[in-house]
Amino acid sequence: MLRRDFLKYSAAGAGLLLAGPRVAFAAPGVLDIFFNSDTNVIDFWTQVVKPGFEAANSGVTLNLVPGGGGSGINTLADRAYAAFQAKKDPQIDMLEAAMPFYPAGALEAGLWVDFAKAGLANYDKVNPVVVQSPALLPYRGSQVVLMYNSTLVKEVPTTFADLVKWIKANPGQFAYSRPDLGDSGACFIERALQEVTGQKPELFLPDNYTDAYAKPMFEKLWPLLKDIQPALFNGGEYTSGNTASIQLLASGAVAMTVAWSDMALQAMSQGVVPDTTAVAQLQDLAFTGGFSGIIVPSVAGNKDMALKLADYLISPEVQNHVVTDLGGFPGIKWEFLSKELQDKFAKVAPKSIPIFPSTWEPSLFEAWYRNVASGVKR
Amino acid sequence: MSATAMSLRNGWRGLAFIAIPVTAIAIFLFYPAALSIIGTLVRPKDGGGYTFSLQSYVFFFTDSYSLTNLGRTLWTTVVTLILLVAVNLPIALYMRFTKGTLATVIQALALFPMFVPGIIICYALIRYMGPNGWLQSLLNLVGFHHYASPHLTPWGPVIGLIWDGMPLTLLILISGLSNISDASIEAARDVGAGRLRILVSIITPEITHSLLIVSALNFLGIFGQALMPFMLGPTNPEMMGPFMLRTFASVRDPLQASTQATITFLICSLAGVAYVRSLARRPQEDRK
Repeated sequence: MLRRDFLKYSAAGAGLLLAGPRVAFAAPGVLDIFFNSDTNVIDFWTQVVKPGFEAANSGVTLNLVPGGGGSGINTLADRAYAAFQAKKDPQIDMLEAAMPFYPAGALEAGLWVDFAKAGLANYDKVNPVVVQSPALLPYRGSQVVLMYNSTLVKEVPTTFADLVKWIKANPGQFAYSRPDLGDSGACFIERALQEVTGQKPELFLPDNYTDAYAKPMFEKLWPLLKDIQPALFNGGEYTSGNTASIQLLASGAVAMTVAWSDMALQAMSQGVVPDTTAVAQLQDLAFTGGFSGIIVPSVAGNKDMALKLADYLISPEVQNHVVTDLGGFPGIKWEFLSKELQDKFAKVAPKSIPIFPSTWEPSLFEAWYRNVASGVKR
Repeated sequence: MSATAMSLRNGWRGLAFIAIPVTAIAIFLFYPAALSIIGTLVRPKDGGGYTFSLQSYVFFFTDSYSLTNLGRTLWTTVVTLILLVAVNLPIALYMRFTKGTLATVIQALALFPMFVPGIIICYALIRYMGPNGWLQSLLNLVGFHHYASPHLTPWGPVIGLIWDGMPLTLLILISGLSNISDASIEAARDVGAGRLRILVSIITPEITHSLLIVSALNFLGIFGQALMPFMLGPTNPEMMGPFMLRTFASVRDPLQASTQATITFLICSLAGVAYVRSLARRPQEDRK
């Protein structure tokens, strides 16, 4: 997640440098919304959220501004905090895909609106497992899922142990990508690591990595990954990224792989994979993933209208579009989505959204190359 | 004005012309490269100060994983080079001695890869030669069912790099061949030399220079390649390009990454020296 985001942010940052800073001035009826996400998300807002909201609230205009990536969004959060301390309008009504944990102390001081207490009509619909903070309203997510050809895979594995059994029973039919090149592959070996350590994601924290702590766990991981290696695609070959994995599935070279839900759903809706392609999530402990949300400064000039927009964002109307148009996961519970979507994605609805800390990844990936990938026999 | 003063003034003017690019190269290339190389040798000590250490190089040359990667890079480079010349020399010879529409078409086809970005080639090659790709389907049609895809094997990057290196190789070989005068070939024919004799005794000596340039330039291009090896090649062994990138970005070990880069640079500079020497020798030969 983090690396993917980093790339996105740096690309967006470069774009902003060229475009120059575009600072909006608060005006009545104009909501200034700054985006951390990529252009596909801004396109989604332009085509779905903006027309829908503006039609329902005459006289209101959404001003959608690319925020310039991680550091740009942090600067805006700094500005909001400064305005909050001076009790002035920060001229920011909403930040998209930002975290309420920056600047330090701002959340506690009350800079960001607490959505649990904001009286949003749709707030009860929000899926509690995706809420990281009451000040962050999650509205779209993506998660690593099993992507498979349903004509070849009749009974899709629902636990990691079953998945391992399936891989060994169907040699050459499963592929995952090299962990450093595709996060879907990274999530696969991270899920395997959680499996051999007793399905306890809480063992892996952003600040608890040490060689001595990790080594005994890694030592348990290698036998499992080496065990399935001969049964992987081409006798133990790994793809060069998320897209390459989907390409193998598309060409029929493998029957199952792991993929990001948004990429998988987009590939399915664009028809680049066979019609019989389906996605599923492990039901014992899901693959890792993440949700993006919005935050609203409590001193925003158009705060009431911004909250109305937030409520609209988590309405089933928009959330259905998040799944169909954006290939994302809904921030609200699946039962509130259209019946058709519920049936189609019943197997991916996650019961939990585990997160694996990126601080563990450098050593894990390097050790994977040396212990697992170098054992390929050909 | 004396001739010496004239050439001196021209010399100064010449220097002024190259001052800007040379300064730019020094500031943006040599200085950071030198910093990075020195950084692999002079390490900060725990209690402050600096110490000279070859430890990262000792690690590289005693680490079988790193050495296997270096070996794979050399193998890929040499095999690709040999195949590049083997494929392009006949085409160049054909184009040197044939005029007409077909030759023009072949030339256009051979130069075509120059205008297609590498990443597009990679994805196209995966679809073409990958498992269940077009090539396999075509072979199935004619009854050949034993196709093993080179995708994700050491031959994957070799094929991609040949595609990529063709235009440059061909252009240099053609320009080398165009230096051979028709008169000398006619003369050889007149005294009864066969085609093979002409190739060995007249053409080959004339184009050794071009072959040297082709080898040196391609060596530089192939050895440090990152895109083709990681898109088309196996997970392991890695070529130096992806290995360096991964060590830097994923393992987050800039010291080892610079060490790998310095070793790559030293090996490539051998090819660079061969290229520069060959360029420097040429005018002298021409003056003779």
